[in-house]
Amino acid sequence: MRVHQPGGSLTRARGAEVDDWSWARTRRRLAALYRLARPYKTRTVLAILSLLGATAVALAPPYLVGRTVDEVKRGDTQLLGWFVVAFVAAGALGIVFTYAQTYFTGWTGERMLADLRHTLFRHLQRLSLGFYERNRAGVIISRLTNDVEALDQLVTDGVTSLVQNTLTLVGTAVILFFLDWRLAFATLVVMPAMGLATAVFRKRSGRAYRRTREALGMVTATLAEDIAGMRVLQAFTRERAARENFREVSDDYRAANMSTVMLSGVYFPAVDFLSSVATAVVLGYGGLLAFNGDVSIGVVVAFLGYVTNFFDPVQQLSQLYNTFLSAVAALDKIIDLLDDEPEVIDAPDAVDLEDVTGQVAFEGVRFAYGRGPEVLHGLDLDVPAGMTVALVGHTGAGKSTIAKLLARFYDPTEGRITIDGVDLRIASQESLRRSLGIVPQEGFLFAGTVADNIAFGRPDAGRDEVIAAARAVGADEFVNRLEHGYDTELGERGSRLSLGQRQLVAFARALLADPRILILDEATSSVDIGTERRIERALRRLLHGRTAFIIAHRLSTIRDADLIVVLEHGQVVEQGTHDELMEHRGLYTSLYGDWASTAA
Amino acid sequence: MTESPRYRTTFVRLVGFLRPYKWSMIVSILLAVGQQAAGLLAVFLTGSIAGVLVDENRGLLPWLVVAVLALGAVRALMMAGRRLIAGRQALSVEMDVRTVLYAKLVRLSFGFYDRHQTGQLMSRATVDLQGVRFFLGYGLIFFFQHVFTIIGVAIFVFLISWKLALIAVAIAPVLVAVAYRYSHVSHPLLREVQQKMADVATVAEENIVGVHVVKAFAQEDEQQRKFERSSEEVFELSVQANRQRAFYVPILSFLPLLAQAAVLLAGGRMVAGGSLSVAAFVRFNLFLAMLVMPLRALGMWIGQAQRATASGERIFQVIDEPEEIADAPDAVPLAPGPGRVTFSDATFGYSPDRPVLHDVDLELEPGKVVALIGHTGSGKTSLASLVPRFYDVQDGSVAVDGQDVREVTLESLRREIGVIAQDPFLFSATVRDNVAFGRPEATDEDVQRASERAQAHEFIVALPDGYDTMIGERGITLSGGQRQRIAIARALLVDPRILILDDATASVDATTEARIREGLREAMRGRTTIIIAHRLSTIALADEIVVLEDGRVVARGGHDELATANAVYREIYEHGLLDRVFTEEVA
Repeated sequence: MRVHQPGGSLTRARGAEVDDWSWARTRRRLAALYRLARPYKTRTVLAILSLLGATAVALAPPYLVGRTVDEVKRGDTQLLGWFVVAFVAAGALGIVFTYAQTYFTGWTGERMLADLRHTLFRHLQRLSLGFYERNRAGVIISRLTNDVEALDQLVTDGVTSLVQNTLTLVGTAVILFFLDWRLAFATLVVMPAMGLATAVFRKRSGRAYRRTREALGMVTATLAEDIAGMRVLQAFTRERAARENFREVSDDYRAANMSTVMLSGVYFPAVDFLSSVATAVVLGYGGLLAFNGDVSIGVVVAFLGYVTNFFDPVQQLSQLYNTFLSAVAALDKIIDLLDDEPEVIDAPDAVDLEDVTGQVAFEGVRFAYGRGPEVLHGLDLDVPAGMTVALVGHTGAGKSTIAKLLARFYDPTEGRITIDGVDLRIASQESLRRSLGIVPQEGFLFAGTVADNIAFGRPDAGRDEVIAAARAVGADEFVNRLEHGYDTELGERGSRLSLGQRQLVAFARALLADPRILILDEATSSVDIGTERRIERALRRLLHGRTAFIIAHRLSTIRDADLIVVLEHGQVVEQGTHDELMEHRGLYTSLYGDWASTAA
Repeated sequence: MTESPRYRTTFVRLVGFLRPYKWSMIVSILLAVGQQAAGLLAVFLTGSIAGVLVDENRGLLPWLVVAVLALGAVRALMMAGRRLIAGRQALSVEMDVRTVLYAKLVRLSFGFYDRHQTGQLMSRATVDLQGVRFFLGYGLIFFFQHVFTIIGVAIFVFLISWKLALIAVAIAPVLVAVAYRYSHVSHPLLREVQQKMADVATVAEENIVGVHVVKAFAQEDEQQRKFERSSEEVFELSVQANRQRAFYVPILSFLPLLAQAAVLLAGGRMVAGGSLSVAAFVRFNLFLAMLVMPLRALGMWIGQAQRATASGERIFQVIDEPEEIADAPDAVPLAPGPGRVTFSDATFGYSPDRPVLHDVDLELEPGKVVALIGHTGSGKTSLASLVPRFYDVQDGSVAVDGQDVREVTLESLRREIGVIAQDPFLFSATVRDNVAFGRPEATDEDVQRASERAQAHEFIVALPDGYDTMIGERGITLSGGQRQRIAIARALLVDPRILILDDATASVDATTEARIREGLREAMRGRTTIIIAHRLSTIALADEIVVLEDGRVVARGGHDELATANAVYREIYEHGLLDRVFTEEVA
C-alpha cells in the first residue's frame, strides 16, 4: 500500500507551460514590464549602459595579449609598456563597469519586484471575498511569492546574462573576423555541432529536471507530513512501513536525479571535446596561415584566447531558456490576477454611514454564490436597533450567508439590505465596516503582540484602552500571566494561545473597535469549563447595547437572545423568543429535542 | 574559522559517510586528476605553437594538432567517467544521510517532538542536508582536482621561468583569501534575505487566510503598510547583498588580470632582452589563465566546507539525540490478556523537576470504561499517554495485564492500544488508507465495517470517490466531525485491547453525536477504555469516573456517588449541561 499520494500536483503546477505566444498577449507582457520599469528610467538606462561597457571591456585582454606577443617577438619593448597599461586599464574599467552594472541592475530589479509585490498585495486587499472562496489560499500566496520569485530570476540575472552572453558571442565573432576572416570561419565550424548538442541537452534535461523537482517535492512533502503526524505514526506502530515508504520515495528521487547526472555527464564532456577541436583547428589552420605569413603569431595566440569565449556563453544561454519560460508563465499568472476585478465596489455616489443606530432590515433578499444554486430565497427580516438575534438551523440553512451579506462581502442577487434605512449598496464599504464588527468562529489572530491584536481594528488606540477592553471581556487575567504581558508575541495565527484564549482576544478586539452592529459566529469546539464560563460572561458584556447577529450553537446564548430566527433551506421558518418557539412546537422544538436527548 | 574540536569531529564524521564508497571515491579522484593532467598537457602543447611558428617547424604542426585532439578526447572521456561515478556516489550518499536521519526521526519519542517544531526539523532534513550533500558528493573530489591543478600549474610555470612564476604566484594567496571572504560574508546575508522573504510570505498568508477579519475591521491600509514594511526589508537586504556582489565579483576577475599584466610587462622585457623565448612566454600566459579558476574555486570551497560542517553539526544533533523510549534489550512481546491496566505510584513530568502526576495508584478493570475528568492541567492526558508508553514514568510503574510496559516491546504494546486524539491527524492519502493506517493489510470489508461502527460510512460513500477519495493537503478538506469519525474507525480497525479516547466527539452536531456515541458504545464492548472527558454526554458512557486534580486522583466512583461527593464533578454537571452544543455548522 502507498499511503502517500505523489506530491506532483504541487510542483507540476509550477512547471513552465506557456502556450499563448500571440502578439496581443506578448504586448500585454511587455506593457506590464514597462509599467514596472517606468519610474526608474534613469537607473534602467544606466544599467544597460554599464552592461554594454562591462561586456566590451571584457573582450579586450586576449587581443592585447596577442598584440604584446607580436611586439616582443619583433624585439620591440617601446609599445610594451602601453599595452600593459591598456591591459590594466581594461581591467580597472571592468571593475567600474561591472560594479555599476551589478548595482544598477540589482537595484532596479529588486525595486521593480518590491513594487510589484505591493501592487499585488493592494489588489488582493481590494478583491471581494468571492475571489478568496473561488481560489485556494495556497495558490494566491504563491502568486505573491513563487511567481514573483520566478520573475526575480529573469529581471535580475536573466536579462543581464542574456545581454552579456549574446554580446560576448557577437563581439567575439566580430573580433575574430576582424583579426582574420579565414581562421574565424574555420574556428566557427564547430558551432553547429555545439548548437545541436545544446538543443538536445536542453530538451532532455528540461524533462529530467522537472521529474527531479517533482520527486524532491515528494520527498519533502512526505517528510513534512510524517514529522507532523509522527505521534499517530508511532501510536499505530507504522514505523517500519513509514521507513520503507520513505526509502521508496527517496529512491525515486535518486533515480530521477541520476538521469540528470547522466545527461550532463555526456553533454559537458562533449562540449569540452568540441572546444578541444576548436583549439586544434586554430593550431592547425592558424599554424599553416602563420607559416605562409598570412597571419602573425599574435593573431593565433589571440584566437586561442577567444576560443573559450564561445563555449561559456552558449551553455549559459541554453540554461537561460528555462528561466525565461518559467518567468513568462509567472508573469502571465500575475497579469491575470491583476485583471481580476472586485465584485463588490463602492457606488460612485456612495455615502458614508454616520451615527448608526443599528436598525437592520432584509427585504426580499435572494442570493446564490456565483453560478451555484440559490441559498436564500426571498428573506425578510426586520431587526430593531440594540437587539440580539440568534440565527439557528441545520447546516446549510443559510446562517453564515446572512452574516456575509450584512457585512457586504457579497451583494444580494435580488432584494436589498438596509442599515438605518440606507441600502448597503449605496453606503461606502469603509463606513459600513467601521460600524460593523465581526467575530469569526476560530478567533483568527495575527502574528504580533497581544496588544497589536486587540488594537487590530483601531491601531491608534492607547494602551489603557487596550487593557480596558481586555479587562471588560475577562482576558486581562491570562494576558498578565504571559511572560511579557500585553507585549507577548503570539506567533503565527496566535498559536501560543489556547482556543478559548484566542476567542477572548477576538472579543476584546471587537469591543475596542466598538461597532454598532456585531456579527458573531459562535465557536463550537469545546474549551475547558473555566474558560467556557468566562466566554459566556464576556459575550454578555460585548453584546450589551448593540445590534447583534449570532450564529448560535450554545443553548445559553440562544435562550438569552431577544429574537431567535430559525432557518431552513434559505428561508425563515420560525421566529420569536425561546418560550414562544417552544410553545409553537415546530422545527425549533425538534432541534431542541435533539439536543435534549444528547444531554440525557 | 572556528576550529573547535567538535568542529573537527563533525568533519571526520561527515567524511565517514563516504566509507562505503571508498573505491568509487578513489576512482573519481583519479579520473579528476587525470582529466586535469590531460588538460595541462594540452595547454603545454598548445603553448608550444609559438615556438613551432617562430622556428618554422612545419613537420611538427600536424603532430601538435593530433596530440591536442587526442588529449581532448582522453580528457572528455575521463570527465564523463568522473561525472557518472561521482554523480552516482553523491546521490547515494545523500540518500544514506537522509535515510539515517529519517530512521532516527521515527525512533525519537513524543518528548522530542514536544520540544521541537516541525519547521525546525524540516530545515535539518532539507536545507542542512543540501549543504552536506554537495560537500560529500563533489566537494572532496573538487578539492583534489583544484589542488592538483594548482600544484601542476605551479610546477610548469616554475620550470618555464622561476622569476616570472614568483610574480604570478604572489597573487594566488590574495585571490584565495578574497574568494573565501566573499563566500564567507555573502552567505549569512543571503540567508537573511531568505528569512525576510519568509516573513513576507507569512504576512501575505495571514492576510489571505484571514481576509475576512481584515475586511471586517476595514484594516486594509494598515495591513498594506505592514506588508510593505516587511517587503521593503527584503529590498534593502537584497540591495545590500547585491552591492556586496558588485564589490567582490569584479575584484575577483581583476586580480588575475593584474598578475597577467605584471607577467606581460616583466616577461615582455625578458623576451626582448633574450632571456626568455617567445614560445615560453606564450606558454606561460596560457598556463596562468588555467590557474585562475581553481584558485577562485578553492576560496569558495573553504567557505562551502565550513557551511557543510555547520550543517552537518545540526544534522548530527538530531542523530545523536538520545532515544528516550526504546525497547529494553530483553523486551518480550506483550502476552495476551483481558486488558487490565495498573498504575502503581506513577509519577511523571514533562521536565523532571516539574511533575504533573504524583504517585498515581489506579487499577482499571478489564473491559470497563473509565472517564478521566478534571480541569485543564490536572493530568488527564498525561496519565492516558503513559499506557501506550508515549512517555515513561519517572517513578513507579504502569502495567498492562501484569506486565510492566517498559519490559514489553513497543510494537506489541501499541498494537493493543487504540488512540483517538482530540484533534486527530490524518494523512494525505485516500480515506481507505487512513482508516487502514494501523492495519494496512485489512480487507475492504474490514475497513467498511469499522467505518460503519464509527458512523463514518455514510458520509464517506457520499464523497466524490467514496473510500478512494484523497483527503488532506492535496485532497478535499473534511470537517472536524468527519475527521474524528475517521480517527475512530482507524482506532477500531486495529481491534485493540485498550482504547484511549480524548473527548473525540467535541465538534459534531447533536444528531451525529448521538449516533457516534452509539457506535462507541458498541466499540467499547469488551475493551478497557479510558475516556478523557470534558462533557457530560461523554462521561455518561463510562462505568466509572476518576477525578484528577493537580496530578492526583481525588475521587472515583459512579455518577450518583460523585454528584453528591465531588465539587469538580458537580461543576461539570451543572455547567457542562448549560454549555451543550446546540447545532453545528459543518464546514
